[in-house]
Order: sequence, then structure tokens, then C-alpha cells
Amino acid sequence: MSAARDAEIGRLWRSRPRSRFARASVVAMLGLVAWAWIGGGLVPSELLSARRLANLERFLGEVTPYPLQGRTFDLGVALRWAGDLLVERGLAAAATTLAISVAAIVLAAIVGAVLGAPAARTIASPEPWLPDPRRPAAPVAFAWRGLVTGSRAVMIFLRAIPEYLWAFLFLAMLGPTAWPAVLALGLHNAGILGKLGAEAAENASRREPQALRGLGASRAQVVAIGLLPMTLPRLLLYFFYRWETCVREATVLGMLGIVSLGYWIQDARARNHYDEMVFLILLGAAIVLIGDVVSAVARRVVRRAS
Amino acid sequence: MSQPPTGSRFVLEGVVVRHDGGGGAPINALDGVALAIEPGEAVALVGPSGSGKTTLLSLLNGSTRPSAGRILVDGSDLTELSPRQLRLVRASIGTVHQDLALVPNLRVSQNVLSGRLGRLGFLASVRTMLWPSAEDLRSAHALLERVGIPEKLFERTDRLSGGERQRVAIARALHQQPAALLADEPVSSVDPARARDAVGLLRELSRERGLTLVVSLHNLDLARSFFPRLIGLRGGRVAFDAPPAEVDEAAFEALYELADG
Repeated sequence: MSAARDAEIGRLWRSRPRSRFARASVVAMLGLVAWAWIGGGLVPSELLSARRLANLERFLGEVTPYPLQGRTFDLGVALRWAGDLLVERGLAAAATTLAISVAAIVLAAIVGAVLGAPAARTIASPEPWLPDPRRPAAPVAFAWRGLVTGSRAVMIFLRAIPEYLWAFLFLAMLGPTAWPAVLALGLHNAGILGKLGAEAAENASRREPQALRGLGASRAQVVAIGLLPMTLPRLLLYFFYRWETCVREATVLGMLGIVSLGYWIQDARARNHYDEMVFLILLGAAIVLIGDVVSAVARRVVRRAS
Repeated sequence: MSQPPTGSRFVLEGVVVRHDGGGGAPINALDGVALAIEPGEAVALVGPSGSGKTTLLSLLNGSTRPSAGRILVDGSDLTELSPRQLRLVRASIGTVHQDLALVPNLRVSQNVLSGRLGRLGFLASVRTMLWPSAEDLRSAHALLERVGIPEKLFERTDRLSGGERQRVAIARALHQQPAALLADEPVSSVDPARARDAVGLLRELSRERGLTLVVSLHNLDLARSFFPRLIGLRGGRVAFDAPPAEVDEAAFEALYELADG
């Protein structure tokens, strides 16, 4: 009895459906990992040579706030040093960083909406949501397909160039103001928000738009009165998530010479003031942390309201 | 050791389950329910949508906490158990969920074997999933044979029809070697003919294994013809609790009458 069952199980196992693709990708992945470790030049001994350790020790010494170096620790002195730094450039730079991130994400949302809507196949088709009673003329169908492909291509291009390189480009064109950072973050994130928005539109339930379309609503009406309210919570989640990233990136972009926090971090490093540099890096981390918390709270509120 | 001699005994004492109701006034999904279900008994819960059937079932398998009152399974109060003890009680109660809740991209064998998770440690369960022992496979195959789809052992679960998936869900519950079987609307995912089969199968399985069976049903005919005891719920309260012969049409109609009708 048991032998017969085992034979049957063996037969079922041999005829089980299996995926060559899944197997091949596991093998390929293991191969890639092995290559990266061995062939990619990541030799662990480079990380901890004696010279490097000495370097590290000196660095740690210089990180101590300047007025405190070679003296016993005094909280009052340390606080005064930190306060001076904050007033001198920390706060202004933090405000710039924040302003850049807000301007960038609003720009990204507007451009993303313009590009994302025609990239959703559910919206951009000759007869959206419902079957077309007539066959659309070939040029019409072609034009709609072109719109989808075109807007997607633009968004892919925007995403393909990293924020850092966009900023580099704009910096060359516009000079060292905050605008290169705003445009760089705005365009890159427009590509991301547009894609996420288009996917939200495509994955949304089709029943409600179909019902509205079925009672005679126009394409724009269905989008504004059906699709937008349905997907708004999701879009807002993406918006705040990307804003959070913008805060972080706005800090980093300062290293290109835009007067956000990153600029002063770079500046302190150039003058070998490692104590200042570490202080400003921590200030940056604090801003990012605050951005994270605000974004998390906003997303929580949105999720609860929806 | 493999089969508990008798099914679970469930006792509910003054159970209230209150939901927040999304900003509005709190709603009582269950409102002062007291009842006892004896080992090996077969009970159908009947009542309209929102009457508290699903909530009652989720109380019995320890997946909802009552806002007030006690739930005793074989004498131990679910609200007072440690997480470890609660896990053991849950492992002893098999549930067939309304939406079946199978992991869609696992093989049928893996879904069935996952029934034993409540009794396995993490590593043992991973091993069972990836490299099931011959014993495990025999057991899964035998259960699938019992529910009528042995040839689906190594299929991907999401390739199966609704009726077949339901049988996988039943096999998973049986692989738990439970003392009780709960099923939430086992007829909603299949057509009427299969619904009858499914309820009949649950009844047979629980009888041959001595399991306590609690099934929520919309369909009064099915409830009447398969179950010796009907519990009617309405607005979170027990409207009647009697053998089918004592429940007349008027009682059923009162159960489904619209509240403001």
C-alpha cells in the first residue's frame, strides 16, 4: 500500500510542472555573486592596512570640537561651539535644504502628473475602460499607442539620469544657485512619480471607471471623478515617500557647490575642519530624520483616512 | 498520539466583540453571546451578513480577542494563555477560511504541509517546505486522495480551480491533525452542486475523525440537511439554538428580516 503510494508520488513528482527560467535565474544569480566577490576587486585586506588604521586614529582625534581639543570635556564650551556653528551657517543651510526639497517635489508632482496620465494604458486608449463598439481607425489607435510609448520613454529618460548628474548639468547652465538642485531633483522624481502614478492608475479597479464611462462620462471626467479619488491615497503615499528622499538628496547635492548643507560639509572638509564636518553631517542626519518622521506621520494619516 | 480521541469543547461566556466602526460609534459585532459546543458536535451557524458568524468563528480559533467575556477551549481561557500556549491551541483547530487563504504560488503539497507549521520550529518548517520527507509526502498525498484530488500533489496552487483549491484548504486543515474543524461559508467560493459536496465532505471528515465541526452557512437548506444543531445569529446575538426540526420557517424568516423593514 505504502509502496504503491510512494511509486505514485514519484510519478507525480517526475511529471510536476517546473520552470526552466526560475532555475536558470538562480544559477545566474549565484554565478554573479561569486564573480562580484572574487573578480570585482573587492579585496578585504585593503580595508584594514596599518596605514589606514593610523589615518583613522588621527581622524578621530580631529573630530573632537576644536575648542575642546587637548582639554578636558566642558559641556558649556561644546554647546557654545555648536550654537555658533548653527547660527553661522547650519540653520540657513538647513532651511535651504528644506526649501529645495519642497520646491523639487512639487515640481516633480506636476510634471509627473502631466507625463504619468498618458502613460497609463487604461487612460490612454481610443476607447478607455469599455470595449470599443467600433474598431478604431488604425491611425487613431496608433496615435494613442504612440502617446503611451512617448510619455513612458520621456519618463525613463528622466529616471535614467541620476539626480547628481542632472544637477551637474544644470549647474553648468545656471550657475551656483539653488535652482540646479531643484530642477535636478524635480525632473528625476517626476520620472519616478509619473511611473508610479501610471502604475497606480493601471492597477486600480476597473469596475468604477467602467460604470462612469458607461453612463456617458468623458475620459477627463472619469479620471477626475473616478480614478483620481480612488488612487489619491496611493499617490499621496508616493508623494511623501519621494519627498523624504528629496530631503536626503538635497543635502548631498550641496557637495556640487549649491548652498545646502552638503556645501558646508564639503567646505569644512576642504579646510580640514573635521569637527565642523562631522557636526554638519549629524545636522544633516537630523534633518533627514525629521523629514522621515513628518513623511511617516503624513502617510499614516493618509492611510487612516482612506 | 496521532489522533486526539475526541474533538474540542468550546464554551463562550458573555462574549462581546466591539469594533471601532471607522470613526463613528463603536459597533458590537457580537453582543453578549453565551454558548457551549460539545466535543464531536456538528454545528451550523446561520444568519445574514454582518450577524457575527465570521467573528464568532475567529473567536473560536483564537484569532480575535473578545472585548469582554471568556472563551474556553477544552477548559483553557484563550484570553489568559501565554503566546506559546495560544499557538498550541491554534495548532489544534483547523480552519477553512472563506477566501481559502492558500499561498497562491506554492505547490499544493507545500500548502498542505504548511498545516503542520503550528507544531514545527522555524528550521524544521523550512526543511519540510523545501525537502519534504517521504513520510510528509505520503501523508499529504493520502489527504489529497481523501478529498478527491491526489493527482494535484505537485501542481502550483494558483493553477487550480476554485473547487480544487477549496479541497486543498480542507487538506491543509486536516494535516494539522486538529481536534476541531471550522469553516467560514465553505459554499461561497463554489457553485451550488459543489457546495453540497463540500459541506457533505466536511461533515464526513469530522465524523470519521471525531472532530468538533463548526460551519457558518448562508444556505438554510444545507444547514438543515447536514447539521443536527443550528445556531441562528442576528445583530451579534443568538436568536435561536436548536435542532433543525425545532426551527420553523418563521424563525428563519425573522432571522433574515431587514432590521428597518
